[in-house]
Amino acid sequence: MKVHAGRFLPPIEEIALEKSPVPPQIEFCSVTKMYGTVAAVKELSLSVSRGEFLTILGPSGSGKTTALMLLAGFAAPSEGDILIAGKSVAAVPSYRRDQGIVFQSYALFPHLTVRRNLEFPLEMRGMKAAGRAAKVDRMLERVHLSELGGRMPSQLSGGQQQRVALARALIADPPILLLDEPLGALDRNLREQMQGEIKSLHKEFGKTTICVTHDQEEALTLSDRIVVMRDGRIEQIDTPEALYDRPATSFVATFLGEANILENPGFKIETDVAQPSGTVVMIRPECICIAAQTAPKGAQAGQRQSVTGMVEDMIYAGPLRKYHVRVESSVLIVREHVPSGQQIFEPGDEVQLDWLRSDIRLVPA
Amino acid sequence: MRTLQKLGRMPIALTVPAFAILLVAFGVPVIQLLLTSLNAPAFSVVNYHAFFERPANVRVLFQTIEISVVATAICLVIGYPTAYLIVAASKRLRTVLLVLVFIPYLTSLLARTYAWIVILGDRGLINNLLLDLGLISTSVPIIYSGVALYIGMVHIMLPIMILPLISVMLGIDNSLIAAARSMGARPLAAFWRVFLPLTLPGIRSGVLLVFVICLGFYITPQALGGLRDALLSTVIAAQVQSALNLESIAASAFILLGIAAVVLSIFGLDISGKQGLAAQPTRGSRPSRLPCLGKLAQHIKELFAPYRSKRWIAELYQPANDGGWWQIVGAAFVTVVMFFLLFPGLVVMIMSFGAGTALEFPPSGLSLQWYRSFFSNPSWSGTAWTSIQIGVAVAILSTFVGTLAAYGLSNTVPRLRGLLTMVILTPITFPAIVVGVATYLGLVKLGLIGTKTGLILAHSIGSIAFVVVIVSATLANFDRRLEQAAQSMTAGPLQTFMKVTLPLIRPGVIGGALFAFIHSFDEVVLSSLVGGAVRTLPLRMWESMRNELDPTIAAVASLLMLLPVLWLVALYVTWWRSRSTAKQAPPNT
Ligand SMILES: Nc1ncnc2c1ncn2[C@@H]1O[C@H](COP(=O)(O)OP(=O)(O)OP(=O)(O)O)[C@@H](O)[C@H]1O
Ligand SMILES: [Mg+2]
Repeated sequence: MKVHAGRFLPPIEEIALEKSPVPPQIEFCSVTKMYGTVAAVKELSLSVSRGEFLTILGPSGSGKTTALMLLAGFAAPSEGDILIAGKSVAAVPSYRRDQGIVFQSYALFPHLTVRRNLEFPLEMRGMKAAGRAAKVDRMLERVHLSELGGRMPSQLSGGQQQRVALARALIADPPILLLDEPLGALDRNLREQMQGEIKSLHKEFGKTTICVTHDQEEALTLSDRIVVMRDGRIEQIDTPEALYDRPATSFVATFLGEANILENPGFKIETDVAQPSGTVVMIRPECICIAAQTAPKGAQAGQRQSVTGMVEDMIYAGPLRKYHVRVESSVLIVREHVPSGQQIFEPGDEVQLDWLRSDIRLVPA
Repeated sequence: MRTLQKLGRMPIALTVPAFAILLVAFGVPVIQLLLTSLNAPAFSVVNYHAFFERPANVRVLFQTIEISVVATAICLVIGYPTAYLIVAASKRLRTVLLVLVFIPYLTSLLARTYAWIVILGDRGLINNLLLDLGLISTSVPIIYSGVALYIGMVHIMLPIMILPLISVMLGIDNSLIAAARSMGARPLAAFWRVFLPLTLPGIRSGVLLVFVICLGFYITPQALGGLRDALLSTVIAAQVQSALNLESIAASAFILLGIAAVVLSIFGLDISGKQGLAAQPTRGSRPSRLPCLGKLAQHIKELFAPYRSKRWIAELYQPANDGGWWQIVGAAFVTVVMFFLLFPGLVVMIMSFGAGTALEFPPSGLSLQWYRSFFSNPSWSGTAWTSIQIGVAVAILSTFVGTLAAYGLSNTVPRLRGLLTMVILTPITFPAIVVGVATYLGLVKLGLIGTKTGLILAHSIGSIAFVVVIVSATLANFDRRLEQAAQSMTAGPLQTFMKVTLPLIRPGVIGGALFAFIHSFDEVVLSSLVGGAVRTLPLRMWESMRNELDPTIAAVASLLMLLPVLWLVALYVTWWRSRSTAKQAPPNT
């Protein structure tokens, strides 16, 4: 029997959002941005509270960068308004918005040393040289780069550049931090390490952070809430758990993790409530158990459904094993942990699949 | 083992034809010239001594430096804001403005100089206008004054300053400016602290190019400048034509070259250090301080390519809120500069359709008489035909030799490549008059003075340099893995080159061929020294500009001004086509 922490919890009814009297730190009010006849962002409404870590996730061209540019003041909305701390910033130029930005390519000034790069935002805010030096020293130490202050950006490794970029965005203590695919240029190991770094910086400095990414794992690990965008519109905003557990649309379901979407399964799927029209059945691959024959269902017998299928394909993926199992006219993806002590199936084997009825989700097609 | 060694040495072998031509026509004579100036085999500096002993020489020398410095400074002061405004313009407007800068750049030097004679001359446009308005009673001498000299020189040099600047500015990652702004830098601070330092490489190459060309400038100063504005190059040319003693010519030439070398080594010493490299990450080769034509070609290609990554800035340059005032000033400035660049050509074109017996503006009637005169008079049409023949021969020879050399160079170790490229480019980096004198000596040795073969050889050394620059730039962006892929499919080196490399670098090769032709078709300094009895079109024009008032030249100049449009269409077509193939490539770079 597999245990999936969190997945057996009863569905959370509503995410209790603090409705505090202080205005949200950032608010998009029905913002549209047109490029010619193309709407890069359509009627975007969104509010982010102080100290929150919000991730904007979406496929390429979905308007993520555009949303960030609008907030940073590098482009003006065609319609709608953006409020920061309750005030419209339509007339505030980018250099007065007081935001720290980490660019995808880092945008470290190639003609300045690491130190001078870090000093730049302080200098622009009119800080004296002595105060700058002390602050830069402290920040360099914080990001473990004390020895590299004299180097040019081109003499740093990718991870070091990334850290300088983060340090530079944070050093002037702006209330808002914007990250545009901050880890996109790093390899996998480094990315995980930097995710930890970003997380701890967020904890320490408590900045309201908006991070753009198309890496779902990054979004799931880092964020308080995730916005899923598609074609310039918001598909869903929610906490990572809720988003994964109860996707609002089949797009969200497939974009975030793997999902079996069964439109015409060819067999009866038992659901707790009647399936409303216009919805499809969704079940996560890890919620399906696979066995040679019907296992004793124990206490949960009444809550489970089982079907018979045939293994079409087996994919070995490190700690996981993935099966493609044909059941009637559909092919279900099943994911299993390898050291579960269970039997390994080969293509052609006949198997029993079974799942908890409460793991079935009905999502709009 | 043997064959391996052979293969290893092969790339260098490809540069042999280019170096052979360069050595015979230019390299050996330059060394001879140096030895002569040093009074070899006795070796003394008497010739240099003699040069500096004559006050007139010293005066001309300082005047040459002064005029070159001033002209370069004016070009920078006008060119930098122009380049900035062009880069900041919207994509479509930017393309239009770039074309408007390219047209004078590609237009015949003589045609442009002639236009200024027509405008500034004693009976030229401005004087006539002032006389008609009753503002003056007798014509004022503009043309042989220093003012006319500077107007003409700046007009010729401005595109040469603007284009490398644009090339560097387009290469600047816009997110850097966005980053500066997000950190609280006002537009001016962002410009001053980030943009300007990053454009230093462009400023450097623009300044060097313009300054060195000014040093060796010969045609325009002679046509527009007065007697008091003599430049060293003019003096040297006069000495060659009057066959004065070779020693003093050699000394003068090497003094001129020495100044160029000093300036090159001062400014060429990367004042921006590694920053320059970081600002323009040219793959493989280090950024050449020489014509950035190739790089510019790449950027122009990008102009037609869809947005990506640079999008962060798309709207950045436009000063966001600070008023339309600056935009009006900027628009006015660019308009004035474009007017300055293009207006002279338009005047000549309009006048060339005049019906009178002399040129007038505006023409009192319209006719094609000067065009008819051009096509029916063999002293005009014959020379044009000669020029075309020579130009085509030069283009074929130098494209072949130059492409081979560029390909060979791209496969050699970087240090050797840098050195050899510098050598190959000397014909277009040395002051023109020095190249002219050296080539003259070389062709005398070969007995080719006054022959078409001689002219083809003389023009080719410069044209090869252009081809090498442009093809090298294309090769730098060429994905070497494609060749390895072809070889893994058992294609031999030759097959790989013909089937994979050449088709992919074809835009560069065609561009190189075009520039090779233009270089030859417009060349007048070398031709006047080595041409002898062979009359090319530029020589005929040059003669006509100095001696007679045959208005046929207006028709010729107009026709020559239409050529750049043809060139641009040709370039556009090749680059456009290459873009559609590039689009199919994976977007990983
Ligand atoms: N300056 C621009 N001019 C015209 N169209 C633009 C511009 N910037 C963005 N777009 C268009 O707007 C849409 C959204 O672009 P955006 O850059 O916001 O996407 P994205 O979600 O950041 O994608 P990616 O993950 O590829 O970075 C795209 O269709 C894009 O082509
Ligand atoms: Mg993006």
